[in-house]
Amino acid sequence: MLKTTVVVIGGGATGVGILRDLSMRGVDAILVERDDLGYWTSSRFHGLLHSGGRYAVKDKEAAKECIQENTILRKIGRHCVEATESIFVRAPEDSEEFEQEWVKSCAECGISAVPISMDEAFKLEPNLSRKLLSAYRCPGAAVDGFRLLWQTVASANKYGGKAMTYKEVIGIETENGTVVGVKIRDRWTGAEEKISCDFVISASGSFAGEVAHLAGLSVNVKPSKGTLIAFNHRICNRVVHRLHKSSDADIFVPHGSITILGTSSIDSAPDDTSTETAEVMAMMEIGKITFENIYDYRILRVFAGTRPLYSADPNAKGRSASRGFVALDHAHDGINHFMSVCGGKFTTYRLMAEKVCDIVCEQLGVNAKCHTAEENLVDDPSPDLISRAKAVFPSYGAELASSRLGNEKLERVIKRIETQPEMKELVCECENVTLAEIEEVASEPTSHTVSDLRRRTRLGMGTCQGTFCAYRSVGAVNKENMPWAKDSVYLFKEFLETRWKGIRPVLWGNMLRDIELTRAIYDAALNLSGVEEIK
Amino acid sequence: MKKSDILIIGNGISGLFAACIAADMGKKVQILSYGAGTLTIGGGIIDVLGYDDQGKFIADPLKGMDGISANHPYAKTGAQTAKKALEAFLKITEEEGYPYLGSPDKNLWLPTAVGNFKPTCLVPRTMDTEALFKADNILVVGFDTMKDFYADMATKNLRERLSKNKNVEEFIVKLNFEYGRDLRDISAMDVARWLETDEGHRSFVDQVKGHVKANTAIVLPPVLGLEPNYKVLDSLKKELSCALIEVSSLPPAVTGTRLNKMLHSCAKKRGVQIIEKARVVGSEIIDGKCQAVITEGFDRQRKFYAEQFILATGGVYGGGIIAKIGAMSEPIFNIDIEVPKVQTDWSYKQLFADKKQIFAQYGVSVDENLTPVAADGSKPASNVKVVGRSLAGYDFCYEKSGNGVALITAYKAAAAFCGEA
Repeated sequence: MLKTTVVVIGGGATGVGILRDLSMRGVDAILVERDDLGYWTSSRFHGLLHSGGRYAVKDKEAAKECIQENTILRKIGRHCVEATESIFVRAPEDSEEFEQEWVKSCAECGISAVPISMDEAFKLEPNLSRKLLSAYRCPGAAVDGFRLLWQTVASANKYGGKAMTYKEVIGIETENGTVVGVKIRDRWTGAEEKISCDFVISASGSFAGEVAHLAGLSVNVKPSKGTLIAFNHRICNRVVHRLHKSSDADIFVPHGSITILGTSSIDSAPDDTSTETAEVMAMMEIGKITFENIYDYRILRVFAGTRPLYSADPNAKGRSASRGFVALDHAHDGINHFMSVCGGKFTTYRLMAEKVCDIVCEQLGVNAKCHTAEENLVDDPSPDLISRAKAVFPSYGAELASSRLGNEKLERVIKRIETQPEMKELVCECENVTLAEIEEVASEPTSHTVSDLRRRTRLGMGTCQGTFCAYRSVGAVNKENMPWAKDSVYLFKEFLETRWKGIRPVLWGNMLRDIELTRAIYDAALNLSGVEEIK
Repeated sequence: MKKSDILIIGNGISGLFAACIAADMGKKVQILSYGAGTLTIGGGIIDVLGYDDQGKFIADPLKGMDGISANHPYAKTGAQTAKKALEAFLKITEEEGYPYLGSPDKNLWLPTAVGNFKPTCLVPRTMDTEALFKADNILVVGFDTMKDFYADMATKNLRERLSKNKNVEEFIVKLNFEYGRDLRDISAMDVARWLETDEGHRSFVDQVKGHVKANTAIVLPPVLGLEPNYKVLDSLKKELSCALIEVSSLPPAVTGTRLNKMLHSCAKKRGVQIIEKARVVGSEIIDGKCQAVITEGFDRQRKFYAEQFILATGGVYGGGIIAKIGAMSEPIFNIDIEVPKVQTDWSYKQLFADKKQIFAQYGVSVDENLTPVAADGSKPASNVKVVGRSLAGYDFCYEKSGNGVALITAYKAAAAFCGEA
């Protein structure tokens, strides 16, 4: 039986933030996640590191927190953040009064908003619609959700914190009204296990209600689904916001070679990540106001996530429910040492964790202060390591790999290539992922599928959406004799079906061409769907 | 103004084969081609019909055509024409010195790069899969720096699938190319080129020889030469005293390249004129008959006149059909293809749906003579026939029928235009 002080339920941004914070304060903690880290909401968003500008008018408190955390994350999570800055633009449809109020509010919140002429705006972002009327430069940025989560866990690991994936919590055990442990089940082996602990924090986002239910409690989370469109181009080099009251499809965020447009808001079930063509079309129509040639850009895929909006009032819905975060101490409901954390924003994940851990530590009698804002998530690679990386990785791949992997893993991957030069083969040309990187990540105990490798390495996230790297990655993990890689056909299908999910609602133009090629390879040539009746 | 008897748009397998058949029957044939086509991406093998609509294996493709649904291209051609077409293809391969194996009434099980099997009908001798089933020892041969073939995966899966008394081993040939992986990727094309050299041939034999036991079949990626002949295969067979079988694999396709070269050579011998970089953008139709098609280059438009036209431009992948939001069309003859308005209705939730995928069956509808029929039932041009992947009504991936539909419809169209329907 495992034993720890705190069990954190949920491997999203909130959960890993709490794990890191507790670990750094010297509190024993284990995080359990039912799926993979960042499988749900923490990767299903635009990957925007808010400047706070979006909240400046409506919620000054949130805006101030955003700019503060934005500044911290650019430093401690520099390998996860692409410091692009952002531009707020006002369209003829948007109110001029709002603009004035917004300028004033940004100043009050300490958010730099530098007005620029439209000529300058078009020079900076040539694709912007010529109908736009005014523009401001703000300190927004792009952030990679998967990477931030894994690097936060890597940081927690250094202090003894542990994260376990594919462990579903099936019971929360109490004695005399106080939590004593959780029961978990391994999703791959079915094995059940108990973790005894003094405290449980549920950071299970949209699933907070389900987790609370295990202890016989209720938590009112109103999941609200947001759809996002990933374009196969860098439409803009900066985050582009519409300067108006927050609404649908008004944010474009560039990431590497793609751009993500978000989002919408529909009440949904917690696990609803489906996307309908109608939602996409509605967003395209709005997006057209910012980038008038939006229909000419090739869509890569669409995806959706649910915001875990908390409401004390079970009847509140959608945008009217609070987007702030709440920490519910269930002592008020009769169970001690059990907390549910809901809502909040990715940008402020560190601050939320700090606030929660302050409460938890007080109850546990721990006096240690939070110092998560002072230490980088992963160490920067040394100049020596960078020059070794440059010798083995293809051109700009060196920088990509060092950001993706962090110092320690980078060194292990470089070593693999130095001893076996053929390991530098690119498995995924779109995202510059080498065979060495795939094999390194595949050998980690948290890897169970090719999709897990994708979330760690960006394998299959580029233009071909897995058409070529599916064969290579399955071949590679097969070669390493991973215990989870026994059934090749299953591995192929699992990976290709998840890619398909994001293409299906936008199956036109080159997306359909790409799928034709995928099927020609995997069905016609490799017969993955056919029954074999060989002699 | 030069006018051909038959003008074919597209130089993939169906366009080239139709040209060869029509030229054989004495017609003056021109092909307008744009880009490389998908022939060299595909595997160069002739899948005819491997599975029925329920996913049940079909042992005899010709018999399988009997109960086929009415909108399937095979329902328009019939098994009789299919047989003639495939036999005509086999005859061409003989003449060209690159004879294919197999018979139209029997499916073969061909190993794939995953190490499983797929049904197919006609294959080059480099894929003599019957030899694999006869052998006691299977040696899976990979190449140490070649991309896109994982010998270990193929070995493991073949071992699982073949009977226990077969001994499946793996061997990796070292390539030692000067331009090895430090400079660029090595593909099956490079290895095929290498095996055509004396040095490559020698090196392969020297490395593999010691691992070949009595009654062995070597299974390897498609690398047995880029030219449509069996020089590489025959000399290796002789020196190693064993069978060699190339697997069905992913692009770039060495076997597709060979078939492409063979068909081009055949068309050339028959006096077919192939005009390259001729992007056809439209057609001139008067009184329900196509007079000419219009090409567009970098500077001007040109018209190509003919008595009869064969549309062999391929499907969505090849560029013959354009898919838009809630709409699909064939752009040369402006044929609208009826599709659902909502994109999610174009497909099943699963990509591998265990049935024919909906969008895969979208294409140009034709009557029993392969003449295009518009959505309203009208026929835009009576002297046009549509062949190959542009056609509606089949899913080549699920059925394993791709090149079969291409050859058989091409044959039917060409023969009909030559009065031999």
